[in-house]
Amino acid sequence: MIEIHLYGKLRRFAKSKDPAGDSVVRVPVKENDTILDVLLRLGVPLHEVGSNIFLNWQYSGLSRRVQDRDRLAVFPDDMQLLYKWYFQRIGAKDNDPS
Amino acid sequence: MNDRTVKYDEVPEKYRLRGGRWLTSSIVCDEVPPTCHPLGPSNKVTIAPGIVTGTEAPTSARISVGGKSPLTGTIKETNSGAKLSQQIARLGIKAIVFEGQPEEKGKFWTVELSRSGAKLVPTPPDWLGKGLYDVFPHLYKKYGDKVAVMAIGLAGEMKMAMAGVCFSDMKGRPSRYAGRGGIGAVLGSKGLKFLVVDDTGAPGVEPADKELFETGCKKLTEALLKHDITKPKGALNTYGTAVLINIINEAGGLPTRNFSNGTFEGAAKIAGEAIFDGNKKRLGKELYNHACSPGCIIQCSNTWYKPDATEHTSCIEYESDWALGANCGISDLDIIAELNQLCNNYGLDTIEAGGTLAVAMDAGLANFGDGKKAIELMHEIGKGTPLGRVLGNGAAVTGKVFGVVRVPNVKGQNMPAYEPRAIKGIGVTYATSTMGADHTAGYTIAPEILSVGGKADPLATQKGELSRNFQAATAFIDSTGHCLFIAFAILDIASGFEGMVEECNGVLGTKWTGDEVTKIGLDVLRMERNFNEAAGFTKAHDRLPEFMKYEKLPPHNTVFDVSDEVLDSVYKF
Repeated sequence: MIEIHLYGKLRRFAKSKDPAGDSVVRVPVKENDTILDVLLRLGVPLHEVGSNIFLNWQYSGLSRRVQDRDRLAVFPDDMQLLYKWYFQRIGAKDNDPS
Repeated sequence: MNDRTVKYDEVPEKYRLRGGRWLTSSIVCDEVPPTCHPLGPSNKVTIAPGIVTGTEAPTSARISVGGKSPLTGTIKETNSGAKLSQQIARLGIKAIVFEGQPEEKGKFWTVELSRSGAKLVPTPPDWLGKGLYDVFPHLYKKYGDKVAVMAIGLAGEMKMAMAGVCFSDMKGRPSRYAGRGGIGAVLGSKGLKFLVVDDTGAPGVEPADKELFETGCKKLTEALLKHDITKPKGALNTYGTAVLINIINEAGGLPTRNFSNGTFEGAAKIAGEAIFDGNKKRLGKELYNHACSPGCIIQCSNTWYKPDATEHTSCIEYESDWALGANCGISDLDIIAELNQLCNNYGLDTIEAGGTLAVAMDAGLANFGDGKKAIELMHEIGKGTPLGRVLGNGAAVTGKVFGVVRVPNVKGQNMPAYEPRAIKGIGVTYATSTMGADHTAGYTIAPEILSVGGKADPLATQKGELSRNFQAATAFIDSTGHCLFIAFAILDIASGFEGMVEECNGVLGTKWTGDEVTKIGLDVLRMERNFNEAAGFTKAHDRLPEFMKYEKLPPHNTVFDVSDEVLDSVYKF
């Protein structure tokens, strides 16, 4: 299982949707799953996903592999204020949202 | 201020094309002895609108405030969005310099500026020693509600090193601050309490090449309206800058409890989403943010309302929200709002104030998370008690007085809301900025200068050049009068950047290229650096505090391990 923390309009995929609280879903993972695979399985429309994705507190791209017990946080496209200059993004490809 | 006179000078040829930070730093470098005492008679405070301020250029009403900082001992440029900036520009004034000191101590003066001239008048004694929210209504009653105001609060009157320079906002609140570096104390040392500007009948700013200027405005406006971050109902307009709370928290870089952790368990309760939702519940409707100054199309300033739907404070910026919230372990927005309001009322820099409260909490003066006690400590500052005077001089002084080693500052200025052990690139900026630990001095650096793990890249020198160019671009944006937030749109959308340069060329009649404006930015950095070197600063001062080298920061469990060699490469130009 991995734990996904959702923000903004993506909170609707979690049971608790409180904008001042944690909106968390737990999703099973298979071997070689990427962040993209997990989000698709959850039914999150990709056009709503911004570049601000964090796997275990690291700024990450959609192609990064996930493992059991990882912590993933995903912000929507209208909330991506962390600019690409700040960090190196791990596992990002050219066609990832920027 | 020696003899309380005002005089007008023609703009010297060398300053003709300069504005904002470029101009204030030029005047400070040319006229202030670098070794002077910041609160003594030789220091000066200068304010300048940007190159395009006063025109129709979008989001361009910033005002730069310069001088030698009592907090850092370095040169200082601190800026704010301000109606006053537009008004000064429209009156045809490039800069105002406040110099000298009155012999009479404890008296304060007000500068009244309008089309018919400027004069210094005594500030009524019953307007002194009070909160700015108490005094501003009297000011508007006397001068009318169209005026724009620059002010210092109680902290400035008491010459505290965390005293900011306050500017009235669009609703006449004393809520906009050129906060950093204690320039409010320098104005206090000169007995200058208010500058009141009335631009009725002002000639305005006439661009040298109107067509080019309008082309530039159009391109920049389109970029700002299109970009996800800056567009209407985009991230900044909806959630304010505090949208960053959750984001930086998820990056493990939100300094918590005086920089002892990179994540805060109460982050979601104080973030931009919580502010938007809290207001919606209390007001019964969605409330989008407002402009801090006229002509801004990004409009990122919020207002926080009390449970009874009356206004509590404006504005809870990301930095203020973090400084008074996560950094103090406080997760109650009503407490944060009260602390923010007290900063505005007393005339304090919220970043330094929150950083100081956190150091005080580390010293045991209060428990982390104790909002009631934090409010009491803030009142000590307002009252100017001996403890309040210590706190009012900032985190570094407070740390020294109470024997705290963990004081996250560079050159005496407390760090803002990005943890350099998690975000190493910003640590390079904190260390090497001409301003002390400052996030706005150059957002960029990380991927350019560092390889994974913060080890120096073999090509770091060349990559340092890239990072310098970003810092230089920042210095140039600060000279145009534009808000730094246009950077999102102009760095992503090429025509937006072109538009900014064309606006400047249109106003000034110049033919600058993109490369030339970067060079201007570099010249500004070099000039500021020279001032600091002459004031006694060396590369040994371009370092983060030692504890960051040995205290591992959760959740990344990393220290700041960027080598001195890399830090020193930033200014090798």
